[in-house]
Amino acid sequence: MTSIIIITITAIVVLYLGLYKAQKALLPVSILGLLASGATAFMAWGSELSYFNDMIVFNNYAIAFTILLVVTTILIFLLSRDYFEHISSNVAEYYAILLFALAGGVVMVSFQNLSMLFIGIEILSVSMYIMAGIKRRNIASNEAALKYFLLGAFSTGFLLFGIALVYGATGSFNIDQIAAHASENPLLFNVGLTLMLIAMAFKVGVAPLHFWTPDVYQGTPTLVTTFMSTVVKTAGFAAFLRLFTVAFGASSHVWMVTVSVMVVLTLFIGNVTAAFQSNQKRLLAYSSISHAGYMLIAILALGGASANSILIYSIAYSIASVAAFGVMILVKQQRGSDDITAFNGLAKNNPALALIMTIAMCSLAGIPLTAGFFGKFFIFGTAISAHYTWLVAIAVLMAAVGIYYYFKVIIAMYLRKGEEGNIIQVSTHYQFVLAFCALVTILLGVLPGLITNLL
Amino acid sequence: MTITQSLFYFLAFVAIFCSLLVVLAKNPVHSVLYLIITFFAFTGHYILLNAQFVGIVNIIVYAGAIMVLFLFVIMLLNFNEGTETHKPNLVKFAGAITGGLVLVVLVASLQTLQQSNPVKLNNADIGLVKNLGKVLFNEFLLPFEVVSILFLSAMVGAVLLARKENN
Repeated sequence: MTSIIIITITAIVVLYLGLYKAQKALLPVSILGLLASGATAFMAWGSELSYFNDMIVFNNYAIAFTILLVVTTILIFLLSRDYFEHISSNVAEYYAILLFALAGGVVMVSFQNLSMLFIGIEILSVSMYIMAGIKRRNIASNEAALKYFLLGAFSTGFLLFGIALVYGATGSFNIDQIAAHASENPLLFNVGLTLMLIAMAFKVGVAPLHFWTPDVYQGTPTLVTTFMSTVVKTAGFAAFLRLFTVAFGASSHVWMVTVSVMVVLTLFIGNVTAAFQSNQKRLLAYSSISHAGYMLIAILALGGASANSILIYSIAYSIASVAAFGVMILVKQQRGSDDITAFNGLAKNNPALALIMTIAMCSLAGIPLTAGFFGKFFIFGTAISAHYTWLVAIAVLMAAVGIYYYFKVIIAMYLRKGEEGNIIQVSTHYQFVLAFCALVTILLGVLPGLITNLL
Repeated sequence: MTITQSLFYFLAFVAIFCSLLVVLAKNPVHSVLYLIITFFAFTGHYILLNAQFVGIVNIIVYAGAIMVLFLFVIMLLNFNEGTETHKPNLVKFAGAITGGLVLVVLVASLQTLQQSNPVKLNNADIGLVKNLGKVLFNEFLLPFEVVSILFLSAMVGAVLLARKENN
């Protein structure tokens, strides 16, 4: 709760700083506020605090995801130096909206009442609709914002209708109460559940509701795409899992089959389509669909280990994504393109950048000695203990397809010849963030014990 | 049949008939006008259910503000009967099947509906403004306050996207 308050106050302070033209203070103040909110969340570790008639409950689950969201946002904010200035002079508003979005994300990971879930999702989504369209003169950015907004509003309709039917069946918005009264009006309850499943699947970009993802991710300014594919996705999955473990866990027979079909479709569409992309940004968009498929496996294999495996996967995926998008922003800024061919010969001119990109790609692909390997390892472990061996077989096959397209960019960097002497300048902020991401990815790949028993 | 029942059937008929016309009307302005009638019928239902506040808000916000916005947008975009995009028959067919399936499922789930303990309305006055206010400022205080973040974000965004750039 304190974290939400601190983040919101920081956002308002940032708005005022923008009013008084204190452009230099924006980044330090935002980072300080985020550090404070992360620290207060960390202090409450181990306690279970519920606020305002069980509207939100901060348990270890909520705290762990809050800290992950805050840390990812800090990394993205550090990458934002000199990025937003190129778009327009309204930098303070961009920071403020991203901070509001983060507050929505924290509400989503800690909700106990469906009204809070709805408000959290809306805060996050509305902020993202706006941020997708901040390049107002760029037609792709406009298209991304409009598409995201229209489809997102449509899926919000499903969410609300679902919540209304579930309320009609159980007489409560509280997820514990919902689970207790699930069998009173089974058919109405199941329809409500299905509608909510549709809405959540849309928000996290799972097939067959993934159609918005590639266009929106590609049209949106790259730094905002980074935020979308890390913070938004993590918050979405944390809320998804919380909702489906607590409220709908007992009625899992209703949605098991639907979700397993979704997993197979998502893995197949995400990975196979990604293999045909020649643009790195669009490739990462499809790869984010496929990662949603892997995380959905943990929801399907509902059990005690699900929360932990989603957390590990989110950490590995977020950190690696920030590094991959960070390198891509540098390449795009100084070579003018984010096609895979723009990475040609990067290893000769900028060996460090190429190395970091390689580590990030290996982690996303799930190669051992990186965090991504243990992310996939624990997800598959959870699935096998829930007797989903056939699903794991498909997932492993698709992970092999993943290795193919993640290595495309590595091959371009190391084996293709690029222009000699076209060295990319890297500022200190970028150096820090990229080095941090690479180190954490390797560290968690070597010592996964640091995070495996958190939840 | 009591007056309440006959009123209910009349309002339900108006609501269903006008929502069908919303979809079937060729002229978008007519669609919006039928939608307004539908909203008025809903307001009648809310009042029958003893929920005056929701009824009034429905008229003020939906029938008033949002529909005026709709009309403005339609007039600004200058839609006419001829500008309607032609959709292939396959898409229409698929849409009809999907919509029909949703209808079947919803009707089926409503058919088995029974009054169970948790959803029984113990206090018939629960929809009155006084009771609603009490619930909103006691039990649902936090969502009521947190929603302000949503509005603030949307407001900042609206100004951000609509403001003239000076460069």
